[in-house]
Amino acid sequence: MDKSTIVCRCEEITVGDVENAIAQGAETFDDVKRLTRGGMGLCQGKTCRTVISELIAQLKGESVAAVPVPRLRMPLRPIPMEILAANQSGTSAMFDLLDQASRKERQEK
Amino acid sequence: MSREYDTIIIGGGIIGNGIAYHLSEVQSDGILVLDKNYPLSGTSGSTQAWIWIHSKSPSWYAEFSLYSAELYGYLQRKIGDIEFDRAGGISPFFTETEREQAFKLAECQAEVGIEIQVLNREDALAREPALSPKILGAMYSPADGNVNPMRLVEQYMRASKKNGVTFEYYNPVTGIEKQQGSFIVTTAKTVFRCKKLILSAGIWTRELGKLLGIDVPVKPVRGQIIITEPLAPLMKHTLSIMRQTSNGEVLVGNSQENAGIDRRSTLDVMIETANMAVKYVPDLAKAKVVRGFSGLRVMPEDEFPIFGVVPGIENLYVAALHSGITLSPLIGTLMTELITGGETSVPIDRFSITRFA
Repeated sequence: MDKSTIVCRCEEITVGDVENAIAQGAETFDDVKRLTRGGMGLCQGKTCRTVISELIAQLKGESVAAVPVPRLRMPLRPIPMEILAANQSGTSAMFDLLDQASRKERQEK
Repeated sequence: MSREYDTIIIGGGIIGNGIAYHLSEVQSDGILVLDKNYPLSGTSGSTQAWIWIHSKSPSWYAEFSLYSAELYGYLQRKIGDIEFDRAGGISPFFTETEREQAFKLAECQAEVGIEIQVLNREDALAREPALSPKILGAMYSPADGNVNPMRLVEQYMRASKKNGVTFEYYNPVTGIEKQQGSFIVTTAKTVFRCKKLILSAGIWTRELGKLLGIDVPVKPVRGQIIITEPLAPLMKHTLSIMRQTSNGEVLVGNSQENAGIDRRSTLDVMIETANMAVKYVPDLAKAKVVRGFSGLRVMPEDEFPIFGVVPGIENLYVAALHSGITLSPLIGTLMTELITGGETSVPIDRFSITRFA
C-alpha cells in the first residue's frame, strides 16, 4: 500500500491520513477515527476497521490483537428516522432549553 | 529522575487544550499537557459542539458566553480551519406558555446586548424552511453557531506544539503532592515536577482535586446523540436540538441523564430523540440514522463554570465547566491572563471555587 491507498471508502481516508494520525499520538482505531473521520461514514467502519487496526499494529510494532477494538454504535445498520420515531419511549430524558432558561432566570431573582 | 516544567495542565480536552494554546502564545516553553487517554476520547469528542448563547440563563451567563463566541472568528484565523460556522441559532416553540417564556428571556438578553428576536410562525419558517409548520414561533439570534470539535482540538494541539508545548498521552496521573513550592505529579509512566498546576480534566477533575485535598463539585451527566447519513443541505441554522455539519450529517440530541460513568447509548433515549427530530424537522423522517453515541458532560453543582485560582494552595488552578465548546477561547484567554499574573479582562470572581465553601 502506498500513502494514497484509500483505507476508508466512505470518507476517502488514505494510508497517509492514518499514518499522520498515528504520528500525532493516536493509538487506537477510535483515536484515528476522531482525527481523520475514517470509520465515521455510512458503513461505520465495517470496511476499514481491520485495515486501520493493522496499520496501527504495524507502526507500533505490536500484534493486531493488542490494538483495542473500536466501540460499536447502535444501530448496526442504518435505519430510517421514522422507524426509530414510530415507537413511544417510556422515559423522558429530554430537556427543554426554554424551560431551563426560565427556571434559571427565576432562581436569579 | 523527574522531568521539570513550569506549568502542567492535566486534561487535554477542549478546556485543557484551550488553556495550553492561549498560554503558549505568551509563555513560549515549559508547558506540558497530560491526558490519561488521547484527546477527544472523552467529553470533547462526543458533543454536537454548538457555540450557544441565546438561551443561556441568567443573562449575565449569556453575556459571558457571547464574549467567547466573539473570539471564535479570531481564533480560527490564528490556528487554522476549525469549521467554525456562525450559523445563527433558532429555538422553536410549540405552546403559548413557551412563547411567553421566550418574550421574557428575549427581554433579559437584550438588556445585556445580545441580538435576539421572538419570531412568529411565518417569520420563523421564512428564516428556516425546514422547520415544522406546527411550530407556534421561534427565538432567533445571529450570535449562535457551531464548530467541529475534532478540528478544534486538533488545531489547538498543532498550534500549541508549534509554540513549544509538550503533550503526554495515555499517561494517567496517579498522585499529586506539593513540596517546597513545587508540585510533584506522578503518572503511570513518569514523575513530573512543576511550579504551576492546572486541573482541567472535565468530569475527572473531582478525582484529581481529591489528590490535593480539595473538592471540585462536578458530576457527569450523560447526553445521547443520533447522527444521520449525509443529507443535502437541509437546515441553515443551529437549532435548539440539532445541527447539520458541513459534510451533511445531521446531529440530533438534547437529553440529560444522571447515569454516572456510563457512556452506553440506550434505545429509549434514541427513540425519544428521533421523535423530537421529526417533530422539529419533518423532512428528517426519511433520513437514515447511522449511529448513536453518548457523551459524559461536565455538570458543576450549580451548573456554572468553576475556574480560577484555588485559594490555600499557591499556584494551583482549576477549570471545570459545562458548555466547554462555547466557552473554550474565553476560558483559555482569561486563565492565561490570570496565570501570567495580570488582571483578567473580564471579572471572574463569581466563577471562583470558593463559592462552594
